[in-house]
Amino acid sequence: MQINRTGVFLIAFFGIAGLALCIVPIFFGASAEVALIIGSTGFIWFLVAMGLVWYALRSNKKAAHNEWIFKNGIKGSATVLYAGSNATVNEMPLMKLRLDLDIPGVGVREVKKREVMPVFIANRMEPGLVLPAYANPQNPDEFILVW
Amino acid sequence: MADVSSSFSAFAADRKLQLLPAVDIGLLTPLLAESTVGGQLAPAARGLIAGETEGVVGHLAYKRNKTFRFNVALTEVPNSTPLVPRLFCVRQGRSTRDDEFYGFGARYSKLWTESTKLNDRYTISTSPYQDPIWMRRLFSPALVDYLAHVEPADFSFELAYGSLLGSVEDDDPGPDGLAALCEATAKVAERIAKECEE
Repeated sequence: MQINRTGVFLIAFFGIAGLALCIVPIFFGASAEVALIIGSTGFIWFLVAMGLVWYALRSNKKAAHNEWIFKNGIKGSATVLYAGSNATVNEMPLMKLRLDLDIPGVGVREVKKREVMPVFIANRMEPGLVLPAYANPQNPDEFILVW
Repeated sequence: MADVSSSFSAFAADRKLQLLPAVDIGLLTPLLAESTVGGQLAPAARGLIAGETEGVVGHLAYKRNKTFRFNVALTEVPNSTPLVPRLFCVRQGRSTRDDEFYGFGARYSKLWTESTKLNDRYTISTSPYQDPIWMRRLFSPALVDYLAHVEPADFSFELAYGSLLGSVEDDDPGPDGLAALCEATAKVAERIAKECEE
């Protein structure tokens, strides 16, 4: 997952508007009760923005680590044994995959992976599908699946 | 629709294809997944769409916030998935939906190519972590030159898990336009299949 322009807009909107709701009532000399009510709303909005920032940073960090595995990892393949989903994120299925991971020098073993996929890709994840995979040379249990 | 139907009838008769009023080919590629009726092509024709290339050619229409119309040719490229699960080469500026609202989306990797003409004409993307060396082999100077100059001018293609969908945006390209679409799709399929074999 990666943040897109709409995500940046949402973060900016909730962050700036949240801060404004916290500060503006005080500057305009609103009563303590009004300032508290509006400020609480603003604080919640600001927390939402911070949550989105945290999620975006975590996604970027994970992507950077995966990039390292891709550049330094051992290339192999993964055969889909099972693919299913019982949850969605932004209307995209959170897929649970069971795979036969075949990494040269490590061997074949069964592994599990969870990925959020667009609907058309989720529909294509059928048993027998062979996908490229890269394993971390320092920890072959860690791998990226190219889908 | 009457004009589209007659174009497909003429094209099917010329190539001895099986003419179908409608066919559901499933949500195989991103363009087909935009369809609200499960990747339905109507009208459509099935058979040898160009040379020895077997496939389906049809008219795709779907409604989101407005109606989008494409003519598409679908064929298979067996054995491509282990090497290139996804490869999209889409004409710059093509619109397939106008109602994108979400803040987070699935990752795609834009493919860099040395050809300015290719970059000017298409947005090329693959799965993240796609093998760049293999991609450079696939996008040989001959393929780059072909894609940069191929007719029809609005040709795009999507390869997803072995299914290759060529498409044009004309509402009714006529029999000659359909022939050009099928030829271009078959040529791309042939090139990818050859690289996969090697």
